[in-house]
Amino acid sequence: MRILQTLKSSACAMAIICASASLAFAANEINILTWEGYADQSFVKPFEDASGCKVNATYVGSNDDFAPKLIAGGGVYDLISPSIDSTTTLIEAAFLQPVDTSKLAEYNNLYEQFRTNAAFNHEGEVYGIPFAWGAIAFMYLTDKFETPPTSLADLWDEKYAGKISLWDDKSALYVAARLIGAKDIYNLTDEEMAATKAKLIEQKPLIRKYWATAGELVDLYASGEVWISNTWAGYQSGLLKEKGINVTEFLPKEKAEGWIDSFLIVKDSPNLECTYKFLNMLIAEEGQCGVANVNGYSVANPVAAKKCMTPEQFKALHQDDLAYLDELVLWKNLGADIERYTNTWNAVKAQ
Amino acid sequence: MKIIQRGKLAAGAVLSLPLIWTILFMFVPYAILFVYSFWEKKYPTFEAAFQFGNYFTIFTDPQYFQVLLRTGKIAAFVSFFSALLAYPFAYFLIFKVKTNGTRQLLYMAVIAPLWISYLLRAYTWKTILGTNGILNSFLIWAGITNEPTDIFLYNQFAMILTLTYVFIPFMVMPIYTSLEKIPKNLIEASADLGLNGFMTFIKVTLPLSIPGLVAGFTLTFCLSFGDFIASFLVGGPDGLMIANVISSQFGAALNWPLGSALAIIMLVIVLTIISISDRFERLGEAKL
Repeated sequence: MRILQTLKSSACAMAIICASASLAFAANEINILTWEGYADQSFVKPFEDASGCKVNATYVGSNDDFAPKLIAGGGVYDLISPSIDSTTTLIEAAFLQPVDTSKLAEYNNLYEQFRTNAAFNHEGEVYGIPFAWGAIAFMYLTDKFETPPTSLADLWDEKYAGKISLWDDKSALYVAARLIGAKDIYNLTDEEMAATKAKLIEQKPLIRKYWATAGELVDLYASGEVWISNTWAGYQSGLLKEKGINVTEFLPKEKAEGWIDSFLIVKDSPNLECTYKFLNMLIAEEGQCGVANVNGYSVANPVAAKKCMTPEQFKALHQDDLAYLDELVLWKNLGADIERYTNTWNAVKAQ
Repeated sequence: MKIIQRGKLAAGAVLSLPLIWTILFMFVPYAILFVYSFWEKKYPTFEAAFQFGNYFTIFTDPQYFQVLLRTGKIAAFVSFFSALLAYPFAYFLIFKVKTNGTRQLLYMAVIAPLWISYLLRAYTWKTILGTNGILNSFLIWAGITNEPTDIFLYNQFAMILTLTYVFIPFMVMPIYTSLEKIPKNLIEASADLGLNGFMTFIKVTLPLSIPGLVAGFTLTFCLSFGDFIASFLVGGPDGLMIANVISSQFGAALNWPLGSALAIIMLVIVLTIISISDRFERLGEAKL
């Protein structure tokens, strides 16, 4: 009898310990929904060791993946990192909560132009913490082109039929819209939209494949299927160079799109303490040089970048020269008009 | 009286689990989908409403009809080629293979790929059909072509090929079963009455195996009709299928109501095909 009782009570004690341990564990865990490379082990592992916070990352392939994951019910993710064109919709849909920037040591070192951008602020409160930026540049297999391409028209050139690829995204509309000389690619008139659509349909027979993920585009170049396409500047070209494939990036004379990614806190995130610790790391030297080295993107904190980058890298990533960003056509939130863009892109693919 | 009640109770207990399963995982989701299909897109998300706008859009904007037509065409080709390959194979297994062991082995060879992830099987075709893939390497090695050709991958041909390969077990299984059920003495009787092998096949074997063919057609057609991976992996710029459109409405556009309406239309099409094929199968049974 005594033995049984002892057993019982120790089992109870064990259960309590286990339960509280798992609770403690849960409180020190954050779940982030982000792009590949933004939670790379090279800087996340040291963070986990130092902070005691465990980081679970889920990766998205496109900006379209954030909203469906949040609308299906909260309580899972603490942080998300959509691009500048998607934040406003998510903020207005009340999926997110404001950030207390006084808890972020490096916040005021971020480019002012980024901090004050309307996409990261809403009704006087800060929502998005800018992290990285870059261009949707264009890229080609170096040894296939005797004269380097300089224009978007090269993606409509019969010479390269079957060797052309475009991102399977509304961004394809932006490309064609610039080629037809639309005034504001984020606010196309109906005539411009029709012309953009016709231009993309005209290009279809020349397209090998619309690429859907970063890895797919790398595969398409590596297996010799594609010679020219648009790309997330720095990222895929870096992966291809690792494979020994020689590609060159370029900005066409019709300009390229630009993007800024920021981190936003999901409403009702239960792990705020770890979330803020993680945000602090992301915009400090560790995270900023981490993403620059892993993804080849430019970063949002030039002060931190100056400390951890070589002068060459600092210059190559345009950290000293924001005028470069002005040359890009920075992505904008389309608001309710996104429906027209999505449907037009679907209609092109339906042809 | 008591015994009857207990019997009812037991039957109820046995049935309740599948019943709960069906209600929870079939009827409730479909009901939700149906309700959503009358809701309204309203930036930034969507809101409850009762209107037919989504269905109106689908019937008036030609892109949806185009994609449905293309999806149907691809699915029909997949069913057709599956039948073309699966029927002789099943026939050979039942009527030509002498030993049971060999028959089992060959049958399993067709079924076994089902245990391997669909994604992996579809992906394999990329390495076979690609510009620098196995097929092109072979053609150049054999001296049939000088330059690698890109006609094999990233088009509807590649999608039909991949889907046929992936779904062909669902054609083999029902045909095999229906051929297996045909009494051997019927074929002997036909021979006794003076019909040669070919005429016996046309007059006896084929009509009796119609239910299997119809079941195989239904399965492969419906599976291909709802597919969206083949388009993603091996499809080209003209590879958009209806399931891809639905997923884009749930993702990019955040237009769940329109996505739901499309899903309901797809469901109606599939259910129609299933009920037609059910009629066909019963017709076949009546003949036997």
